[in-house]
Amino acid sequence: MIKEFTKGLIRENPVFILALGLCPTLGVSTRVVNALGMGAGVLFVLLGSNIFVSLLKDFIPEKVRIPSYIVIIASFVTIVEMVMKAYLPDLYSSLGVFVSLIVVNCIILGRAEGFANKNGLMASILDAIGMSLGFTFALLLISFVREVLGVGTITLFPMGSFDGVIEVPILVDSPARVFALAAGALLVMGYLIAGFRWAQEKAGGEK
Amino acid sequence: MKTMVKIGGKLAIICAIAAAVLGLMNAVTEPRIELIQQQRLEAALEKVSEGMIVGEAQETEEGSAVTTYYPLYEGSKDETPEGYIVRIIGNGYGGEMAVLTGYTKEGEVFAVQMMENSETPGLGKEAEKAEYMQKYIGTGTENPVPVRKDMLSQEQADAVTGATITFIGVAKALEQGSDFVEKLEGK
Repeated sequence: MIKEFTKGLIRENPVFILALGLCPTLGVSTRVVNALGMGAGVLFVLLGSNIFVSLLKDFIPEKVRIPSYIVIIASFVTIVEMVMKAYLPDLYSSLGVFVSLIVVNCIILGRAEGFANKNGLMASILDAIGMSLGFTFALLLISFVREVLGVGTITLFPMGSFDGVIEVPILVDSPARVFALAAGALLVMGYLIAGFRWAQEKAGGEK
Repeated sequence: MKTMVKIGGKLAIICAIAAAVLGLMNAVTEPRIELIQQQRLEAALEKVSEGMIVGEAQETEEGSAVTTYYPLYEGSKDETPEGYIVRIIGNGYGGEMAVLTGYTKEGEVFAVQMMENSETPGLGKEAEKAEYMQKYIGTGTENPVPVRKDMLSQEQADAVTGATITFIGVAKALEQGSDFVEKLEGK
């Protein structure tokens, strides 16, 4: 059972291995804090949708399963959106449209269709947590590289006297702006995917 | 036929439950969201007014880019306004965006604040920062509002690369606001 949880982190990482949800990955990976916020949003939605899809898998008729999943997913996304707007307005304004776009994030529909409707509640919960942590991990990695190289800062949550922005010396004065743009995101992602594949093949070869 | 009713009915049940839950959530969060928006507007007005007294909000006729304006007074509200804060709807990359702009009574921009928008985080969203708006300050009368990239310095032009549509959207909005203020003629 535990492997349903761990598989999402590396072996079946949704971004690096399954190549799912690349659009929001490109979109929000400009700041480290956005990656954390988006990761939390996806965790909540995926957990909710996986639980309900798994519980309702015998109730939902085969022919209308996709619309049913979309209704369930969209409801959770709308809840996330309203809660963020009301309680975390700053995070909401920096994530912008990408929160609503979680609806069409294929990680979530992909897990509902590919996993939760065939598996039990417990396995679906573990799968959801593992997959969203894997997604968050991937986003963090990409956004860290992009923000450090492209802007020269690391933006975290403001806490007390610390305003949440760490400036990287030298880079903050002359950042490589291309990394903050979409082209840079694709470059970073390409290299990271290649790195992951290489590590995977190496690990597989030694077995 | 019977299976169709059954399938449709089940889908309807799922939709009804989802709608009920969302309605409930909306009732809980809506007052807070409105409060936050009100606070944001007040904070922005405070910032853009630069110490002047903000008068009553005036609505404009529908269909114009300018939705609301607030007269600004130096001493008391009985004097003629020294300037205006104007809320303008511009077109950005992610649809409509609202900018709150302070103008002198001649129509020169002295402060700009980006309000509600759906610009891309990291690109167009940069316009929410005060530094971004620096290039528009002091334009609108003798100095035209920069509506094309070649009207900017090299450094400023580099800074809007990747978000040109946002830059033009804000500029066009400010231009319209300036024309609007000029037509007010101190009223």
